[in-house]
Amino acid sequence: MVDVRRVRGGDGLAEINDELDQILDSVVENTRLATESFFASYDKNPDPKVLAAWLAPRAWREIDYVFLLNEQIRRYGLEFERKHITLLAKQSFQEAEHYEIVGKAIESLGGKVPTSVPPEAKPWSDFLWDCLERHPLAAIAAWNCSETSASGSFEPTFKAGERHDFAEVVRVYKQIETDEKFHVGLGRQVLAAYAKTDHDRDEILRAMRGMRDIAWKTFTPESVAQARSA
Amino acid sequence: MTTFDSRSLGQASELYDLTIAELRPAAEGVVSLELRAPDGADLPEWQPGAHIDVLLSNGIVRQYSLCGDPSLRDRWRIGVLREPSSRGGSSHIHEQLRQGDTLTVAGPRNNFRLVEADRYLFVAGGIGITPMLPMIRSAAAQGKPWTLLYGGRSRRSMAFLDEIAGLAGGETHIVPQDEMGLLDLQKFLGQHQPDTLVYCCGPGPLIDAVEAKCQVWRAGALHLERFAPSDRAARKEKGSFEVELARSGQRLVIPPYRSILDVLKENGCQVTNSCCAGICGTCLVKVLSGVPDHNDDVLSIEDQEAGEVMLVCVSRSKSELLVLDL
Repeated sequence: MVDVRRVRGGDGLAEINDELDQILDSVVENTRLATESFFASYDKNPDPKVLAAWLAPRAWREIDYVFLLNEQIRRYGLEFERKHITLLAKQSFQEAEHYEIVGKAIESLGGKVPTSVPPEAKPWSDFLWDCLERHPLAAIAAWNCSETSASGSFEPTFKAGERHDFAEVVRVYKQIETDEKFHVGLGRQVLAAYAKTDHDRDEILRAMRGMRDIAWKTFTPESVAQARSA
Repeated sequence: MTTFDSRSLGQASELYDLTIAELRPAAEGVVSLELRAPDGADLPEWQPGAHIDVLLSNGIVRQYSLCGDPSLRDRWRIGVLREPSSRGGSSHIHEQLRQGDTLTVAGPRNNFRLVEADRYLFVAGGIGITPMLPMIRSAAAQGKPWTLLYGGRSRRSMAFLDEIAGLAGGETHIVPQDEMGLLDLQKFLGQHQPDTLVYCCGPGPLIDAVEAKCQVWRAGALHLERFAPSDRAARKEKGSFEVELARSGQRLVIPPYRSILDVLKENGCQVTNSCCAGICGTCLVKVLSGVPDHNDDVLSIEDQEAGEVMLVCVSRSKSELLVLDL
């Protein structure tokens, strides 16, 4: 009944909607598989610190979105309608709340909340900020893809939460799941409203394709193992 | 029981031409009408708390609670009080209708459902007894303990007393005002009873008094049906409308400058939400009655036109009243 990818507000993506949906479907599926793989590994060794390490790049994403969204508004916001400035700022605030609640969950598991970009999240963060430099809509496309990717992680996380009884993590991600519907819908609306030229659409596609290949990687057990051995 | 002074149906409903099989006095100023299909066929099923819209030949539409036995599928029964200030609704029924006449009705619809509970307290004032009768029968049939507080001006004016005397398994308190004064609400509602749901129907002052007493009860324990829109609605500003929460019967006025979501939150009704801008769809609510005025960006045009759901963060109402599945 509600499909946030079909949000109204502009037709600038009409020519590339199908391809965007394919990219988003692909990254959601890869993230789901990576999350299932992580929790299959976690089932064998349910060490809370491993779960905390898995959550660390999630926490970094939240705070990096805060930085990025505020810079997006500062650089390009006045090219947008006022309501979109307001909604991007609201998203930024929610991302800050997510950093706080994911941070608390990490600490409750005995982990450390990142205050600088974790090495395993650096390719993701670098790509996002490069997009901001390239084009006014590219970073929005990249985080829209990244935000959408997270939706693939929710169900495997909730199921694992039942198996391992990490209720706080589940509670936190239930809230994030609700807010991400807003963030995904808002990103799509902003892109559709302000994409006017083929160049705009090329940059949007480039950003989404690039993020598709990166966003799921920190959800894998291998990424966590590498981070813990560093 | 008249619920709204409406001259048009709030939503599309199937119409039935039914025969008045029996029309008899039920109390001073109250008549009971038994309605049947002309061919004796079964009528649509209904549950306690349901009402029908009666379309009178003078163009007036009135809502009356079904007060018969839902298991008797070939008949519906309503009780109609002659309102002293009637503008052609109840006076038409009392003066013009006769046994054997045909009456056009729509429905049944139910905005006052009996929710599962361990025990029930029913509070009725005057003709507000009508939706309570099938509720009490249902509670009794399930073996649930129930208590009825039934007040009226005088014993002669209180309908269905013989029938109430025959209801089993509960505790009945008949309180004619001229003999015993007002209902002792403090005695029955002064202390929260966690296993009990309260159902109340009657005139505005009784509803307001019961609402006030139930402030100490848990949210959702009180279910209400008013005879007429609340005084708050009568005083409403241009651009405002009322929202009824179907599960509790609570009515809220939505001013022109505030969202439904804000007013719901303020009154302790939690609805999931995030953007408050009609984008995320997380505050989707089912509409049971009324016509939403959609302002969101995410429901499909087909869903908007169907009017069965709405996003309460940005959407409003084209009708005076919206009944929401909350």
